Amino acid sequence: MYGWIWRHLPGNVWVRTLISIVLIVGVVFLLFQYVFPWAEPLLPFNDVTVDGAAPAGHAAATALKGNVA
Amino acid sequence: MALRAVVRSLSELCITVGVLIVLFVVYLLYWTGLRADSASDDEIARLHKQWAAGPVDGGAPGGGTPEETGGSPSRGQDTTGDGQAGGTAERGAAPGTARGTAPGGYRSGNSFAVMYIPRFGGGWSKPVLENTGKQTLRKGLGHYTRSAPLGAKGNFAVAGHRRTYGDPFKDFPRLRPGDPVVVTDGDTWYTYTIVARPYRTLPSDTGVLDAVPAPVDEAATPFDRPGRYLTLTTCDPEWGSSHRLIAWGRLDATQSASEGKPDALTR
Repeated sequence: MYGWIWRHLPGNVWVRTLISIVLIVGVVFLLFQYVFPWAEPLLPFNDVTVDGAAPAGHAAATALKGNVA
Repeated sequence: MALRAVVRSLSELCITVGVLIVLFVVYLLYWTGLRADSASDDEIARLHKQWAAGPVDGGAPGGGTPEETGGSPSRGQDTTGDGQAGGTAERGAAPGTARGTAPGGYRSGNSFAVMYIPRFGGGWSKPVLENTGKQTLRKGLGHYTRSAPLGAKGNFAVAGHRRTYGDPFKDFPRLRPGDPVVVTDGDTWYTYTIVARPYRTLPSDTGVLDAVPAPVDEAATPFDRPGRYLTLTTCDPEWGSSHRLIAWGRLDATQSASEGKPDALTR
Protein backbone atom coordinates (compact mmCIF):
# COMPACT_ATOMS: atom_id res chain seq x y z
CA MET A 1 0.00 0.00 0.00
CA TYR A 2 2.63 2.50 1.11
CA GLY A 3 4.95 1.32 -1.68
CA TRP A 4 2.17 1.82 -4.18
CA ILE A 5 1.53 5.36 -2.96
CA TRP A 6 5.24 6.14 -3.05
CA ARG A 7 5.54 4.91 -6.63
CA HIS A 8 2.61 7.02 -7.75
CA LEU A 9 3.80 10.27 -6.21
CA PRO A 10 5.33 12.61 -8.79
CA GLY A 11 8.78 14.20 -8.72
CA ASN A 12 12.11 13.15 -7.29
CA VAL A 13 12.82 11.77 -3.83
CA TRP A 14 12.67 15.15 -2.09
CA VAL A 15 9.40 16.18 -3.66
CA ARG A 16 7.93 12.80 -2.80
CA THR A 17 9.13 13.09 0.79
CA LEU A 18 7.55 16.52 1.09
CA ILE A 19 4.24 15.32 -0.34
CA SER A 20 4.33 12.30 1.99
CA ILE A 21 4.79 14.52 5.03
CA VAL A 22 1.91 16.73 3.94
CA LEU A 23 -0.27 13.65 3.45
CA ILE A 24 0.65 12.29 6.91
CA VAL A 25 -0.07 15.60 8.60
CA GLY A 26 -3.38 15.80 6.77
CA VAL A 27 -4.41 12.33 7.87
CA VAL A 28 -3.45 13.02 11.51
CA PHE A 29 -5.44 16.25 11.40
CA LEU A 30 -8.51 14.45 10.06
CA LEU A 31 -8.15 11.80 12.76
CA PHE A 32 -7.81 14.30 15.63
CA GLN A 33 -10.47 16.63 14.33
CA TYR A 34 -13.16 14.22 13.23
CA VAL A 35 -12.49 10.51 13.71
CA PHE A 36 -11.27 10.44 17.32
CA PRO A 37 -13.95 12.79 18.70
CA TRP A 38 -16.49 10.50 17.10
CA ALA A 39 -14.89 7.30 18.42
CA GLU A 40 -14.17 8.59 21.92
CA PRO A 41 -17.74 8.48 23.35
CA LEU A 42 -17.88 4.80 22.40
CA LEU A 43 -15.33 4.15 25.15
CA PRO A 44 -16.41 3.93 28.77
CA PHE A 45 -14.63 6.73 30.62
CA ASN A 46 -17.09 9.35 29.50
CA ASP A 47 -19.92 8.29 31.77
CA VAL A 48 -19.70 10.40 34.88
CA THR A 49 -23.36 11.08 35.59
CA VAL A 50 -25.82 9.10 37.63
CA ASP A 51 -28.72 8.66 35.30
CA GLY A 52 -29.11 4.91 35.11
CA ALA A 53 -28.28 5.10 31.43
CA ALA A 54 -25.54 2.47 31.50
CA PRO A 55 -25.91 -0.17 28.79
CA ALA A 56 -27.69 -3.37 29.83
CA GLY A 57 -24.50 -5.40 29.63
CA HIS A 58 -22.78 -2.99 31.96
CA ALA A 59 -25.57 -3.06 34.47
CA ALA A 60 -25.50 -6.85 34.69
CA ALA A 61 -21.75 -6.94 35.12
CA THR A 62 -21.74 -4.23 37.75
CA ALA A 63 -24.46 -5.77 39.83
CA LEU A 64 -22.06 -8.61 40.56
CA LYS A 65 -19.17 -6.30 41.30
CA GLY A 66 -21.43 -4.28 43.52
CA ASN A 67 -21.71 -7.18 45.93
CA VAL A 68 -17.97 -7.24 46.34
CA ALA A 69 -17.81 -3.52 46.92
CA MET B 1 5.04 -13.30 -5.78
CA ALA B 2 1.42 -13.35 -4.69
CA LEU B 3 2.35 -14.61 -1.24
CA ARG B 4 4.88 -11.83 -0.85
CA ALA B 5 2.20 -9.24 -1.68
CA VAL B 6 -0.17 -10.73 0.88
CA VAL B 7 2.45 -10.77 3.64
CA ARG B 8 3.49 -7.24 2.85
CA SER B 9 -0.08 -5.97 2.87
CA LEU B 10 -0.76 -7.68 6.19
CA SER B 11 2.37 -6.19 7.75
CA GLU B 12 1.46 -2.74 6.55
CA LEU B 13 -2.04 -3.18 7.91
CA CYS B 14 -0.71 -4.19 11.34
CA ILE B 15 1.68 -1.23 11.42
CA THR B 16 -1.17 1.10 10.42
CA VAL B 17 -3.45 -0.20 13.14
CA GLY B 18 -0.63 0.11 15.70
CA VAL B 19 0.07 3.69 14.72
CA LEU B 20 -3.66 4.47 14.87
CA ILE B 21 -3.90 3.10 18.41
CA VAL B 22 -0.87 5.07 19.56
CA LEU B 23 -2.33 8.23 18.01
CA PHE B 24 -5.66 7.61 19.73
CA VAL B 25 -3.96 7.21 23.11
CA VAL B 26 -2.07 10.43 22.52
CA TYR B 27 -5.38 12.07 21.65
CA LEU B 28 -7.06 10.82 24.83
CA LEU B 29 -4.26 11.44 27.30
CA TYR B 30 -2.86 14.62 25.91
CA TRP B 31 -4.98 16.31 23.30
CA THR B 32 -8.35 16.21 25.08
CA GLY B 33 -6.62 17.64 28.15
CA LEU B 34 -5.12 20.51 26.19
CA ARG B 35 -8.44 21.28 24.52
CA ALA B 36 -10.38 21.04 27.78
CA ASP B 37 -7.93 23.22 29.70
CA SER B 38 -8.10 25.92 27.08
CA ALA B 39 -11.91 25.65 26.92
CA SER B 40 -12.13 25.86 30.74
CA ASP B 41 -9.83 28.87 30.83
CA ASP B 42 -11.92 30.54 28.11
CA GLU B 43 -15.13 29.93 30.07
CA ILE B 44 -13.63 31.26 33.30
CA ALA B 45 -12.23 34.30 31.53
CA ARG B 46 -15.60 34.94 29.92
CA LEU B 47 -17.36 34.66 33.27
CA HIS B 48 -14.96 37.06 34.94
CA LYS B 49 -15.42 39.52 32.08
CA GLN B 50 -19.19 39.18 32.35
CA TRP B 51 -19.10 39.67 36.11
CA ALA B 52 -16.83 42.65 35.83
CA ALA B 53 -19.03 44.25 33.16
CA GLY B 54 -22.39 43.19 34.59
CA PRO B 55 -23.14 45.80 37.25
CA VAL B 56 -21.90 48.62 35.03
CA ASP B 57 -24.14 47.54 32.15
CA GLY B 58 -27.11 47.16 34.41
CA GLY B 59 -26.67 50.37 36.30
CA ALA B 60 -26.27 52.83 33.47
CA PRO B 61 -29.39 52.70 31.25
CA GLY B 62 -32.12 51.80 33.71
CA GLY B 63 -32.78 53.44 37.02
CA GLY B 64 -33.14 50.25 39.02
CA THR B 65 -30.56 48.31 40.91
CA PRO B 66 -28.30 46.18 38.77
CA GLU B 67 -29.64 43.06 40.43
CA GLU B 68 -33.24 43.63 39.54
CA THR B 69 -33.76 45.46 36.28
CA GLY B 70 -30.66 45.69 34.22
CA GLY B 71 -28.51 42.84 35.42
CA SER B 72 -30.05 39.68 34.15
CA PRO B 73 -31.22 40.65 30.64
CA SER B 74 -28.05 42.46 29.70
CA ARG B 75 -26.10 39.47 30.87
CA GLY B 76 -28.11 37.31 28.55
CA GLN B 77 -27.36 39.54 25.60
CA ASP B 78 -23.67 39.58 26.37
CA THR B 79 -23.40 35.93 25.59
CA THR B 80 -25.67 35.52 22.58
CA GLY B 81 -22.74 36.13 20.29
CA ASP B 82 -21.32 32.76 21.22
CA GLY B 83 -23.81 30.93 19.05
CA GLN B 84 -25.31 29.01 21.94
CA ALA B 85 -28.96 28.07 21.77
CA GLY B 86 -30.52 30.99 23.55
CA GLY B 87 -32.64 31.26 26.61
CA THR B 88 -32.42 35.02 26.36
CA ALA B 89 -36.16 35.46 26.15
CA GLU B 90 -36.62 33.29 29.18
CA ARG B 91 -34.12 35.31 31.18
CA GLY B 92 -35.47 38.57 29.89
CA ALA B 93 -39.01 37.65 30.78
CA ALA B 94 -38.17 37.32 34.44
CA PRO B 95 -36.07 40.36 35.14
CA GLY B 96 -37.01 40.38 38.79
CA THR B 97 -35.36 37.09 39.61
CA ALA B 98 -31.94 37.45 41.05
CA ARG B 99 -29.31 36.09 38.68
CA GLY B 100 -28.51 32.45 39.15
CA THR B 101 -31.07 31.73 41.80
CA ALA B 102 -34.09 31.11 39.62
CA PRO B 103 -34.70 27.38 39.14
CA GLY B 104 -33.91 26.47 35.57
CA GLY B 105 -32.69 30.01 34.97
CA TYR B 106 -29.31 28.87 33.71
CA ARG B 107 -28.83 28.86 29.98
CA SER B 108 -28.22 25.34 28.74
CA GLY B 109 -24.59 24.74 27.81
CA ASN B 110 -23.46 28.06 29.30
CA SER B 111 -21.13 28.47 32.23
CA PHE B 112 -22.58 30.28 35.23
CA ALA B 113 -20.18 29.64 38.09
CA VAL B 114 -16.61 28.75 38.96
CA MET B 115 -15.74 25.98 41.41
CA TYR B 116 -12.62 25.82 43.57
CA ILE B 117 -11.54 22.71 45.47
CA PRO B 118 -8.31 23.36 47.41
CA ARG B 119 -7.92 19.61 48.02
CA PHE B 120 -7.28 19.15 44.30
CA GLY B 121 -4.54 21.77 44.33
CA GLY B 122 -4.28 25.48 45.00
CA GLY B 123 -4.71 26.38 41.35
CA TRP B 124 -7.63 24.04 40.75
CA SER B 125 -10.60 25.91 39.37
CA LYS B 126 -13.19 24.81 36.84
CA PRO B 127 -16.21 26.44 35.25
CA VAL B 128 -19.62 24.96 36.00
CA LEU B 129 -21.88 24.75 32.98
CA GLU B 130 -25.57 24.03 32.74
CA ASN B 131 -26.51 20.44 31.77
CA THR B 132 -24.43 17.27 31.76
CA GLY B 133 -24.22 16.59 28.02
CA LYS B 134 -21.07 15.26 26.42
CA GLN B 135 -20.24 18.54 24.72
CA THR B 136 -20.74 20.44 27.95
CA LEU B 137 -18.49 18.18 30.01
CA ARG B 138 -15.71 18.75 27.49
CA LYS B 139 -15.46 22.33 28.69
CA GLY B 140 -15.77 21.90 32.43
CA LEU B 141 -18.12 20.58 35.09
CA GLY B 142 -21.80 20.03 34.35
CA HIS B 143 -24.71 21.01 36.57
CA TYR B 144 -27.56 18.47 36.59
CA THR B 145 -30.40 20.45 35.07
CA ARG B 146 -33.02 18.94 37.38
CA SER B 147 -31.05 19.63 40.55
CA ALA B 148 -31.28 22.78 42.65
CA PRO B 149 -29.58 26.04 41.62
CA LEU B 150 -26.36 27.13 43.29
CA GLY B 151 -26.81 28.01 46.95
CA ALA B 152 -30.55 27.29 46.94
CA LYS B 153 -32.46 24.93 49.21
CA GLY B 154 -32.11 21.42 47.84
CA ASN B 155 -29.24 19.70 46.16
CA PHE B 156 -26.84 21.48 43.81
CA ALA B 157 -25.46 18.52 41.81
CA VAL B 158 -22.43 18.65 39.54
CA ALA B 159 -20.75 16.00 37.37
CA GLY B 160 -17.19 16.00 36.05
CA HIS B 161 -14.74 13.81 34.18
CA ARG B 162 -12.42 11.67 36.25
CA ARG B 163 -10.09 11.09 33.32
CA THR B 164 -9.59 12.68 29.90
CA TYR B 165 -10.69 16.22 29.10
CA GLY B 166 -8.34 17.77 31.60
CA ASP B 167 -8.91 15.15 34.33
CA PRO B 168 -10.91 17.60 36.49
CA PHE B 169 -11.96 15.03 39.13
CA LYS B 170 -8.81 12.89 38.99
CA ASP B 171 -8.21 13.21 42.75
CA PHE B 172 -11.85 12.66 43.67
CA PRO B 173 -11.13 9.77 46.10
CA ARG B 174 -8.88 12.08 48.12
CA LEU B 175 -11.84 14.21 49.23
CA ARG B 176 -12.30 14.00 52.98
CA PRO B 177 -14.91 15.26 55.43
CA GLY B 178 -14.24 18.92 56.17
CA ASP B 179 -12.78 19.73 52.76
CA PRO B 180 -14.14 23.02 51.44
CA VAL B 181 -15.69 23.28 47.99
CA VAL B 182 -16.05 26.92 47.04
CA VAL B 183 -18.36 28.02 44.23
CA THR B 184 -18.95 31.56 43.04
CA ASP B 185 -21.52 32.94 40.64
CA GLY B 186 -19.95 36.38 40.55
CA ASP B 187 -22.21 37.81 43.25
CA THR B 188 -21.63 35.45 46.10
CA TRP B 189 -19.05 32.98 47.34
CA TYR B 190 -20.67 29.75 48.48
CA THR B 191 -18.51 27.59 50.73
CA TYR B 192 -19.68 23.99 50.94
CA THR B 193 -18.03 21.49 53.26
CA ILE B 194 -17.67 17.84 52.30
CA VAL B 195 -19.40 15.70 54.94
CA ALA B 196 -18.27 12.16 54.12
CA ARG B 197 -15.70 10.17 52.23
CA PRO B 198 -16.66 9.57 48.57
CA TYR B 199 -19.42 7.02 48.29
CA ARG B 200 -19.12 4.36 45.58
CA THR B 201 -22.32 3.34 43.90
CA LEU B 202 -23.93 2.17 40.66
CA PRO B 203 -24.84 4.49 37.78
CA SER B 204 -28.51 3.74 38.39
CA ASP B 205 -28.41 5.14 41.95
CA THR B 206 -30.12 8.40 41.02
CA GLY B 207 -31.36 8.94 44.56
CA VAL B 208 -27.98 10.50 45.37
CA LEU B 209 -29.20 13.60 43.50
CA ASP B 210 -32.41 14.01 45.51
CA ALA B 211 -33.01 17.20 47.43
CA VAL B 212 -32.24 15.16 50.52
CA PRO B 213 -29.82 12.63 49.03
CA ALA B 214 -31.19 9.09 49.32
CA PRO B 215 -28.57 6.58 48.14
CA VAL B 216 -29.45 2.92 47.68
CA ASP B 217 -27.11 2.05 50.53
CA GLU B 218 -29.03 3.65 53.38
CA ALA B 219 -26.02 3.55 55.67
CA ALA B 220 -24.39 6.11 53.38
CA THR B 221 -27.25 8.62 53.69
CA PRO B 222 -25.44 11.85 54.50
CA PHE B 223 -28.28 14.09 55.66
CA ASP B 224 -31.49 13.51 57.57
CA ARG B 225 -33.30 16.78 56.92
CA PRO B 226 -33.72 19.25 54.04
CA GLY B 227 -30.99 21.82 53.58
CA ARG B 228 -28.65 23.43 51.08
CA TYR B 229 -26.51 20.61 49.79
CA LEU B 230 -23.89 19.90 47.15
CA THR B 231 -23.40 16.64 45.26
CA LEU B 232 -20.37 15.87 43.10
CA THR B 233 -20.36 12.82 40.83
CA THR B 234 -17.70 11.19 38.68
CA CYS B 235 -16.92 7.73 37.35
CA ASP B 236 -15.20 4.86 39.08
CA PRO B 237 -12.87 3.08 38.44
CA GLU B 238 -10.66 5.76 36.99
CA TRP B 239 -10.79 4.49 33.41
CA GLY B 240 -14.08 2.62 33.64
CA SER B 241 -17.75 3.35 33.85
CA SER B 242 -19.09 0.49 35.93
CA HIS B 243 -19.54 2.61 39.06
CA ARG B 244 -19.83 6.19 40.22
CA LEU B 245 -18.18 8.07 43.04
CA ILE B 246 -20.36 10.53 44.93
CA ALA B 247 -19.32 13.26 47.36
CA TRP B 248 -21.76 15.32 49.40
CA GLY B 249 -21.31 18.71 50.97
CA ARG B 250 -23.33 21.11 53.08
CA LEU B 251 -23.49 24.86 52.52
CA ASP B 252 -21.58 26.33 55.42
CA ALA B 253 -21.03 29.96 54.59
CA THR B 254 -21.80 32.56 52.00
CA GLN B 255 -20.24 35.92 51.51
CA SER B 256 -20.62 38.68 48.97
CA ALA B 257 -18.11 38.81 46.14
CA SER B 258 -17.18 42.32 47.24
CA GLU B 259 -15.85 40.95 50.52
CA GLY B 260 -13.12 39.09 48.67
CA LYS B 261 -12.27 35.43 48.60
CA PRO B 262 -13.48 33.26 51.47
CA ASP B 263 -11.01 31.97 54.03
CA ALA B 264 -11.07 28.50 52.53
CA LEU B 265 -9.25 29.81 49.45
CA THR B 266 -6.72 32.02 51.20
CA ARG B 267 -5.52 29.55 53.79
